[in-house]
Amino acid sequence: MSLEVAIVVEDAVEYSFAMEYHGPPITRELPRAVPINVDRIPVASVVSPLPFPDSLSLPVVQPISAADIIGKKLIKDLKLSSSSAELLTVSPTSVIAFESQNNEVSEGSYSKELGLGTETSVSPSSVINASVESETENRSSNDICALSGELSSDFECCNRDDVLSGVNERGYSSISHDEFVGGVGSSGVLESSDSFEKSMEFSGSLRKSRLSGAYKETLDFNESNRTDWESNESVLSVDYLSSRVSSRKFGDGNQDSGGGDVRRAPVVTFCDIESDDENVDDDYSRSEPEVVRMKKEPAAKVRKGACYRCLKGNRFTEKEVCMVCDAKYCNNCVLRAMGSMPEGRKCVTCIGYPISELKRASLGKCSRMLKRLLNDLEVKQIMKAEKFCEVNQLPPEYISVNGRPLYHDELVMLQSCSNPPKKLKPGNYWYDKVSGLWGKVGQKPLQIITPHLNVGGPVKANASNGNTQVYINGREITKVELRMLKLAGVQCAGNPHFWVNEDGSYQEEGQKNTKGFIWGKAGTKLLCAVLSLPVPSKSSDLCGEQISSSISRSMPDYLEQRVIQKLLLIGYSGSGTSTIFKQARILYKDIPFSEDEREHITLVIQSHVYNYIGILLEGRERFEEESLHELRQHQSCDGPDGTTPAGDVDGNGEETPYSIGPRLKAFSDWLLKIMASGTLEAIFPAACREYAPLVEELCSSVAFKATYKRRHELESLPSISSYFLEQAVEILKPDYKPSDLDILYAEHVTSSNGLACVDFSFPEPVYDGDDSGDLHDSLLRYQLIRLQAKGFGENCKWLEMLEDVRVVIFCVSLSDYDQFALDGDGNRVNKMMLSKKFFENMVTHPTFDQMEFLLLLNKLDSFEEKIEQVPLTKCEWFDDFHPVISRNRSNSNNSNHPTLGQLGFHYVAVKFKRLFAALTGRKLYASAVKALDPTSVDTALKYAREVLSWDEERPNVSLSEYSIYSTEASSFSH
Amino acid sequence: MSVAELKERHMAAAETVNSLKERLKQRRLLLLDTDVAGYARSQGQTRVSFGPTDLVCCRTLQGHTGKVYSLDWTPERNRIVSASQDGRLIVWNALTSQKTHAIKLPCAWVMTCAFSPSGQSVACGGLDSMCSIFNLNSQTDKDGNLPVSRMLSGHKGYVSSCQYVPDEDTHLITASGDQTCVLWDITTGLRTSVFGGEFQSGHTADVLSVSINESNSRMFISGSCDSTVRLWDTRVASRAVRTFHGHEGDVNAVKFFPDGHRFGTGSDDGTCRLFDIRTGHQLQEYNQQHDDNEAPHVTSIAFSTSGRLLFAGYTNGDCYVWDTLLAEVVLDLGKLQNSHDSRISCLGLSADGSALCTGSWDSNLKIWAFGGHRRVN
Repeated sequence: MSLEVAIVVEDAVEYSFAMEYHGPPITRELPRAVPINVDRIPVASVVSPLPFPDSLSLPVVQPISAADIIGKKLIKDLKLSSSSAELLTVSPTSVIAFESQNNEVSEGSYSKELGLGTETSVSPSSVINASVESETENRSSNDICALSGELSSDFECCNRDDVLSGVNERGYSSISHDEFVGGVGSSGVLESSDSFEKSMEFSGSLRKSRLSGAYKETLDFNESNRTDWESNESVLSVDYLSSRVSSRKFGDGNQDSGGGDVRRAPVVTFCDIESDDENVDDDYSRSEPEVVRMKKEPAAKVRKGACYRCLKGNRFTEKEVCMVCDAKYCNNCVLRAMGSMPEGRKCVTCIGYPISELKRASLGKCSRMLKRLLNDLEVKQIMKAEKFCEVNQLPPEYISVNGRPLYHDELVMLQSCSNPPKKLKPGNYWYDKVSGLWGKVGQKPLQIITPHLNVGGPVKANASNGNTQVYINGREITKVELRMLKLAGVQCAGNPHFWVNEDGSYQEEGQKNTKGFIWGKAGTKLLCAVLSLPVPSKSSDLCGEQISSSISRSMPDYLEQRVIQKLLLIGYSGSGTSTIFKQARILYKDIPFSEDEREHITLVIQSHVYNYIGILLEGRERFEEESLHELRQHQSCDGPDGTTPAGDVDGNGEETPYSIGPRLKAFSDWLLKIMASGTLEAIFPAACREYAPLVEELCSSVAFKATYKRRHELESLPSISSYFLEQAVEILKPDYKPSDLDILYAEHVTSSNGLACVDFSFPEPVYDGDDSGDLHDSLLRYQLIRLQAKGFGENCKWLEMLEDVRVVIFCVSLSDYDQFALDGDGNRVNKMMLSKKFFENMVTHPTFDQMEFLLLLNKLDSFEEKIEQVPLTKCEWFDDFHPVISRNRSNSNNSNHPTLGQLGFHYVAVKFKRLFAALTGRKLYASAVKALDPTSVDTALKYAREVLSWDEERPNVSLSEYSIYSTEASSFSH
Repeated sequence: MSVAELKERHMAAAETVNSLKERLKQRRLLLLDTDVAGYARSQGQTRVSFGPTDLVCCRTLQGHTGKVYSLDWTPERNRIVSASQDGRLIVWNALTSQKTHAIKLPCAWVMTCAFSPSGQSVACGGLDSMCSIFNLNSQTDKDGNLPVSRMLSGHKGYVSSCQYVPDEDTHLITASGDQTCVLWDITTGLRTSVFGGEFQSGHTADVLSVSINESNSRMFISGSCDSTVRLWDTRVASRAVRTFHGHEGDVNAVKFFPDGHRFGTGSDDGTCRLFDIRTGHQLQEYNQQHDDNEAPHVTSIAFSTSGRLLFAGYTNGDCYVWDTLLAEVVLDLGKLQNSHDSRISCLGLSADGSALCTGSWDSNLKIWAFGGHRRVN
């Protein structure tokens, strides 16, 4: 190790010859190299481990949570004595820094300080936290006392050792100290004790240096938290590319990679200075959250104009400034100091902190330097992140309107209104809600913004500090305004009180008639410009209507992310999730389906209709055969005495109600053939035009109508088909445009596989009550995610992606109780049982642990019809359904007696609730829904919203209140 | 033939198949006299040793706000694309750690992403059952979003994995929850061939990952929830060339060994395995014993350029570096300083093998590389 250092030093002292300068004359002064007096450079000598004085009680090294990090850094002088160099294990990476610094020295520039990163041997499990503090400005000697006090207190509270090594040079005092936070991990004991020993030595040297009194020192102690450290780390090494992670490297060892002691070798650079300071704030803010917004000063007092990281450069070198702590970095260092810039131009250690308000104006404005360093796309991404990331937004409490600090929602409203205040800066403002006048407290109006915003308190009379005794909307106006009013022709004699509306119309207080429009004349606007008074912007003319629409305006990205509430709609196939999903789109979207989608849906519906027709035609053939058979039997019965010619038995001349002409017969055969080959979808949409007249003919034929009458006998024909078949002729016309209802009824039109989602917010209620609560509510956006169970495997690995869902809406088709389907093993299973199994899977899935579930029992309408004919006990799960039905049910068709359908629904709901409670011990919300009925779906989704808000209020509300909403029914036995 | 009779015959046939499978297994065990580790030890191989600076985290890519699910490197330039649950694809410059593109996806539930061989476009797939292709050079729309240049639709289940065919920007293989893999022609947007599915001898559960042989791009492997790995020839879609049994859980990750004759797997049973595609034998199992029997699942694997090292990410946040010859863990990235806080969900080696990138549920990506001093000669 020391060998390597030696090599490097050798390299560094190699002579270089100066070339004669041939370039153009230099305008600025060249920096002069100051000769170094070697004798005057202080040398840090290693002090023998002395017993500690009583005052410096060493703390016990406590184990620290795994999040804490290992590290130790040192800043050493060039003239680091060889003994201490041996003591330290200089890491290879730091040697690189060493070299560069060395060059600097040989150039004769100011610096002789070297960053030597060093590292004690620390096993990964032991935890040591380190940071380096360096001060390069003189501090008053008072600091010493104060800071030594601080030192000891920190010792106590931080459980760490502190090592200081002082370096003094030419009036600068620089202190570096290392802090060891020894976490006693399972395997870290040995190493940490090792470092302990070293720390003792160093503290010895510290004491010495302090005793000498020649050093002025300040100390800052802190605990770098994990992220800081990580980001430091990310800053550190650069050229991994040239190195290779290859087995050869690992194979033949690391003899050259430094002493066995070194585990990690960060280069110590001066960028750590900020991080230290920063972390102090961090520590404090943990105890007192109010201080979080405290302004951060870059504690690092770097020589004026120098880069905070490499300490090179002067006032004229171009530098990038951290938006938080004001640290400046030069060309070479900025990328290392700022890393990936997830929140814009901030040092890695400042990420997560609010920006300095002084720099708000430059938010999102890129410097030339960054543009040079990075390509356009990268710069664009950084600026976007800087402008829109949440932590960089204006803190609402900094803005006070009419004497009251704003809340977050108010600020959002203010900024997202149609005519927001320009360049909003922290400060006190007054806002006249009626006219929209906006200004700084104690000043004339600045701007006319959107009126009627519910922001801040009422405007005060002295808001603009006027002394004219003329009032506008209760605010005493300024002299300039009064002059404008007079020039605009407003009668201001007798100190009147005016009401001014947003359109500029004004009336005197207590009088009904409008006296005129302030900004009505063209001259007034010019006048206002001269007096630098605001005039209403054009858009504000229609701001009356815009208040409501401003809510639905697109919000910045960061807001959208936060307020979206995700509802997952899931159910076994055929449970009607797609209908509910479509219904939600129709209900809440202005344009439920785009043109492309409609086009696609048209094709889907048309091919469906052909499919239905095909099924009917198939049925027709069967019916025809049957009736022919019947006829023949009839004839054979009649045969002996009948006169029918035997030839007719072949069916040539026979007419049944199901017979069709040869042309239609050909079409029918062709259609059936295509259906059998399963290529209907591929052929039909294109062939639509060609066959439309044929279909029309077919539909009007007697045979088709007769078959249609008997459609209930055709099992494969879905019940929904009658809706489409009745308007088949219309649908199959080439210019058919599906209505919303058609789309709702159609099957398989939403992306049939996988996932679909729709963003919506519940529309404002029409009545306008106290809207403060609703306003908040309308900001909430919901996302309905529909997942199809089909195509998603049994173990549902993908479900973990949906863990941020707030409510799972599980859909069950009530009318499934007598339907059967084939399960994975090919057995015929009741569909309700399949639904139940799926429900169990979902509820017990680890991702949905503690998730709210809302059960929607769908198809209540068809269930009510069906239950009258088919007993609910047909499904084995419901075999104990014994409804108490009043004898006189038939004649008491009123609401006093629940219908069998309602009883059935409650029974099923309770069955599911018990199942849910048995599985999770929690409560299941349940609701009935008719997916084809918009209001029913609306109610169901609003119910989901209620579930969400109860969930939020749960800590405050007692559980008993919920029972009101429960659908627990006791009207039947089970 | 009645249904009952058919069922009986089916049962009998299934039994025969099972017994044959068992015999095959026995036979394989007989043939395997040693495994890689045993042989390597007998040859006196010593394990790879890691110095402290041989693999350090030298970059942290911050910018995602959700769990990172997938990442991929470009073959030639040092860019990375990552997919996260926040519904964005981010293209990173791994050297400067800056973002070059942040693509907002129409469907936020993205599970996989891939860089095209030319580095001009990226592909991603997820719960929407589509594979979307974005051309990085296309103009952004007025909201600053990159438009989808091609949607590959046809899967009936989620797209769990996608990979471009090496050196072809127009072909892509996806794996899906509908038990199939599909080779796509991107220019037409149509399926060239479908591997597996209803009537073919393919996977019997969700396919979770694919890996294409770099040296022979006609061959690819797929790992599935049916705990098997299948080897496919893109010219023969009807049936798998070979099926590899051995795992006792879902196979989450498959990756070809650099020489193309072997491949590694990572599974829910907590093990990684090495298989030989020529013999069909399992060569080695990489299993770290845990005290409790709840072994963390393997989420993702990658080989070093020489194949001596196998990087494996686990659900508990560990990331082991295995010595493939001796089957020993030589390093755990999860236990190093500033490692990820959460599950490591994806990892990948850069094309030149100089850096490893890991993506985690803590929403960060980290780049690990040799962090020591390089002696300049």
